[in-house]
Amino acid sequence: MKSIKQISVFVENKPGRLLDVIEVLGGSDIDIKAISLADSSDFGIVRLICENPESAYKVINSSGFTASLTEVLAIAISDKPGSLAKVLRVLKESSINIEYMYGFSAKMKDHAVIIMKVSNLEETIKCCISNNVQILSENDIKSVV
Amino acid sequence: MIYKDEIETLPREALEALQFKRLQQTLERVYALVPFYKEAFRKANITPSDIKSLKDLHKLPFTTKEDLRDSYPYGMFSMPIDQVVRIHASSGTTGKPTVVGYSRIDIEEWSQLMARSFVACGITSKDIIQNAYGYGLFTGGLGAHYGAEKLGAAVIPISGGNTKKQIMIMVDFKSTVLTATPSYAQLLADTIEEMGLLDKINLRVGVFGAEPWSENMRQKLEEKLRINAMDIYGLSEIMGPGVAIECEAKEGLHIWEDAFIPEIIDPDTQEPLEDGQEGELVITTIKKQAMPLIRYRTKDITKIIKEPCKCGRTHRRIQKILGRSDDMIIIRGVNVFPSQIESVLMEIEGLAPHYQLIVDRQNNLDTLEVQVEVDSKIFSDEIRKLQGLQNQIQKDIKDILGITTKVTLVEPRTLQRSEGKAKRVIDKRKI
Repeated sequence: MKSIKQISVFVENKPGRLLDVIEVLGGSDIDIKAISLADSSDFGIVRLICENPESAYKVINSSGFTASLTEVLAIAISDKPGSLAKVLRVLKESSINIEYMYGFSAKMKDHAVIIMKVSNLEETIKCCISNNVQILSENDIKSVV
Repeated sequence: MIYKDEIETLPREALEALQFKRLQQTLERVYALVPFYKEAFRKANITPSDIKSLKDLHKLPFTTKEDLRDSYPYGMFSMPIDQVVRIHASSGTTGKPTVVGYSRIDIEEWSQLMARSFVACGITSKDIIQNAYGYGLFTGGLGAHYGAEKLGAAVIPISGGNTKKQIMIMVDFKSTVLTATPSYAQLLADTIEEMGLLDKINLRVGVFGAEPWSENMRQKLEEKLRINAMDIYGLSEIMGPGVAIECEAKEGLHIWEDAFIPEIIDPDTQEPLEDGQEGELVITTIKKQAMPLIRYRTKDITKIIKEPCKCGRTHRRIQKILGRSDDMIIIRGVNVFPSQIESVLMEIEGLAPHYQLIVDRQNNLDTLEVQVEVDSKIFSDEIRKLQGLQNQIQKDIKDILGITTKVTLVEPRTLQRSEGKAKRVIDKRKI
């Protein structure tokens, strides 16, 4: 499987709740590779990429949070103008919808990483491979992020 | 002022004799015509002839809202539908309403009692009554309307809502009486003030009911609108508005004892309590034709004041309603039980029944917030799906209960848990 696991956590929109999530992970020595926060008026969803997603999920869950493990894609793109557009065009041509995405910088030279949740995971992976879009595995994430 | 002097000031002894005669007729009627009562009397091992005086009333079985619900829609009617001329309904615990029927004579009687009630509030045939109670299945609008016409006052059937238009009409038509729920009256008062029109209105009396309200609220409404604010009591199961009314003494509400027999019981033991003791109000109708009810448990908490009133009426008074013996909440005049919300939530797949209702009053309108805990079954990593869930809950509640709510998703185990009965309702209204 080329996809990676993201931990999604439900948090109420009130001061200190994000900190609570982060502290729970920190307290268990879990390294956060990437984080994004989606919000609505009264709640938010914290999305996390961690080195060991299963144990991160367990820690979060046993601390009383509602959380889930979600399959997402991590894609490496070269750090220059137009490269994200190239990837998006590939997806568009296959009618793949992006539910959400966020990006972060990587230790890979001249590369950035984007995390995306897509409407059709299998199809997206095939489409990426045939168009030479570089998908990162969980092992890749450990070393490059 | 008294509308029907003779009946309203009838000496107690004569009034009680009249009550007993009408009670006997009512018992004979329901025993013969309503299978529910025949069965209930049989279970209680009693027949109408066993009731030899008003003191025997407590031997009769109670009727509850659940009984009405179980007999939905027409099971409690004691006459064929072709003799029924009006049907009203109020919300019930499962989404099915509680249905009440009226014969032509019932409507006439109700109109009379409402007219009597208006007169007790100091209203006359010269008044212009702006009726801002809702017209429809709810008994408030039509009940007040018929009473106003019976009295010979000019009634403006504006119904609830449309605040700016209400105020325009109130000013232009020179309305002298406002009938509304107290929370709507307060919204009107505040809006009139904001519009700078307090000097342009001609109101002198307000008749407010269908919701609990406080002395404090009365004072505010009276000062702002320069009116006499009067409390009216009623419930659709028994008739609608006009079961009891304040007179100008404003020391309790006279319950019309020629049509109803009030009792106070201990809601837990169901034993009758003495006059003056606080408990649940139980009412027996003794004049209704289409749907008489025996010892109906109103769930409203009050006490009976038996001391004579300075107005001269001999009908006993009940104290302003203090609360309810169940967990029913009244939102903008609509009865809501937590169990109704619960059944809506249970219909939605995967939803855990951990919820709490927050009742508040913002800008003088009742608000209801439904807080639902998000567990792993309904959680999604996509905001859109969670918002979709919020909207679905909101829509389902609106469809079934007819009220607009704010739905908030909260983290698991954040809602108060209590041992035994869950605390489902937090009422923040300061009334």
